[in-house]
Amino acid sequence: MTDLTFSRTGRPSRIRLSRGGMRGAVLTCVLAAGALASLLTGGRDDVGLAQLAGLFAGEAASPAEQTMRDIRLPRTLAAAGLGINLGVAGLLLQAVTRNPLASPAILGINQGAALGIVLGLTVPALAVVPGWLLASVFGLAAACLTFAIAGLVSGRIDSMRLILGGVAVGAIGFSAVRLGYTLEDDIAREVVRWTVGDIADLRIDAALRLLAFAVPGLGLAYLMAHRLNLMAMGHAASHGLGFDPRATLVQGTVLAALLTGVSISVAGPIAFVGLVAPHIARWLCGADHRRLLPVVVLIGATLTIWADALSKLLPQAEEAPVGIVVAMLGAPWLLVSVLRRSGTAHV
Amino acid sequence: MSDARRPEFPGLRGPVTLALLGALLPVLMFAGLFAGAIPLEIETVVNSLLGRDGPRQDFIVLQSRLPRALLAALAGGALALSGALIQALMRNPLASPKIVGINSGAAFAVLVTAFYIPALPHSLLPVPAALGGLMAGALVWWCAQRGDIDPRQLTLVGLAVGLTLDAGVDALLVANTGPESSAPLIWLTGSLWGRGWTHLASVAPVLLTLAAAALILAFRLDLQALGPRRAAGLGVRIGLERTLALLAAVILASVAVSVVGVLGFVGLMAPHVATRLVGGRHRIMLPTAALFGAVLTVGADTLGRAIRPPLEISAGILTALMGAAFFIWLLIAEDRRI
Repeated sequence: MTDLTFSRTGRPSRIRLSRGGMRGAVLTCVLAAGALASLLTGGRDDVGLAQLAGLFAGEAASPAEQTMRDIRLPRTLAAAGLGINLGVAGLLLQAVTRNPLASPAILGINQGAALGIVLGLTVPALAVVPGWLLASVFGLAAACLTFAIAGLVSGRIDSMRLILGGVAVGAIGFSAVRLGYTLEDDIAREVVRWTVGDIADLRIDAALRLLAFAVPGLGLAYLMAHRLNLMAMGHAASHGLGFDPRATLVQGTVLAALLTGVSISVAGPIAFVGLVAPHIARWLCGADHRRLLPVVVLIGATLTIWADALSKLLPQAEEAPVGIVVAMLGAPWLLVSVLRRSGTAHV
Repeated sequence: MSDARRPEFPGLRGPVTLALLGALLPVLMFAGLFAGAIPLEIETVVNSLLGRDGPRQDFIVLQSRLPRALLAALAGGALALSGALIQALMRNPLASPKIVGINSGAAFAVLVTAFYIPALPHSLLPVPAALGGLMAGALVWWCAQRGDIDPRQLTLVGLAVGLTLDAGVDALLVANTGPESSAPLIWLTGSLWGRGWTHLASVAPVLLTLAAAALILAFRLDLQALGPRRAAGLGVRIGLERTLALLAAVILASVAVSVVGVLGFVGLMAPHVATRLVGGRHRIMLPTAALFGAVLTVGADTLGRAIRPPLEISAGILTALMGAAFFIWLLIAEDRRI
């Protein structure tokens, strides 16, 4: 009888379960604290949580309540939506490429999507296509190019070439974006601020669009979770268990490109959330994607909401765009993780 | 390079290629004198250059476009030479000043100086740039010393260092947005816009000295490509020469970045093209790479001004577009060989 209540390490299994619960609870608290900090700070001093009461006041809302309803809350919601979309996209890409350094930014998807947006602004024929679709299609094209460079055509993905190819594809995409706004003066002002990931001007429609992709995206990803677990065992093993790893690769990449595309069409290319969130999630709860997905949602939202709060809290002349705050947190983290990895094994 | 096609003696391929590139460079620089917001007649340009009577545009030709072409050649050559040295020393075909994080380090240091020590004259900016580049290089090098790191892993470390410094650059730009904030933005994309004789004078002595030193080291580098042990057996003092050559490479790239900004992928592309043109012997490959880098940058700058005058497209955008495409081709070609 006692055997059943103890795990292999000899610890009572109940403690393990409650530890997972504890982590979830702590994470939720951190997320809530970030949301509070983000909601409480901004241009006006007289806007606080009390103004949340004005959400349903309609026309009768005071200016302070309108600020909360029309500016603060949508911005925080948009930050959460970005974090969720990019975190899930990163997790999917890392799983299907079996490469812990994969992420929308490193595989060139971010830059490809940004190019799509700029083309939509400059080419009249493309103006009718919605921004999220252009961004997703170009992001997907960039991913295909990166995969082709990594050797997918000949049937394998070399991890180092995947990263280097992604960086080169990203460099082409971003140079083309710069070329676009050099040639078209009208869009320059708009695009330069947008390329660093700025969400200060987002309103409720943008927030809702992000969440409208996040919810079904998460559902689809959850349906793939079991196959993502099998991918981790190697392509041959998952083949042997009756799944075609190529199908999972294609589905995961398309989904990741859609989630990235909508995020970028709304807020500009934000790097590092898609890279860092899955790593923290794995560090917290192991390698099972059925558990990783909800955790990566919490962590992605926590990261971007805190980055948004920090961008408002840091004292300086002008607000730092959230993309830069995320990069300042994420880039050193990438460096440390590469260094720790380099001591032991190959990427 | 495969041994099968190697000729029995060096042949004339190297010198001929060098001569062709050497002839192409002044032609391109001359063409660069015509490109820009104000179209010029051949007669006007020649008159201004030679100081003859007749229609002249001395200011445009002598004060604006000529120093610009010279600086493009010098900076492009320096970046290319730096890339060639780094690839040879790390024996890593994917390394370059940009990939190893040196460009970002130099850019970061230049911006810190420009924003927080505005009293420093602009002609001294190459000094902090060199320090920044050296620090980034030292960081990557230090990481490389930890354990038995393989060369491609080193590329990844360099990439991470570069991205971290890029984040710092972004933060600096946002913290210092002001009426003049577009100037650092233009500089960061790698542009020769607004560069003149003063900039040329502040970097030319350093770059030319270092380039000469690097070429003298080139013979020793030929021996190093055999591998550290055999080179030591032939009397090369590995540690010292490696360090000297690496120092030269880092400072070359950093100083170039301090005046023309981050010209993407020149340092990566030039050595590969040179190797394919003249083979891997450094004595001939290094000068070829430097000349090719100069030709590429002068060409990109001229093209950027000629596409849609009076608009200027930063040379860095064009070199990055061409360079990244070339890098991809390189990765695919490498795949074929394996």
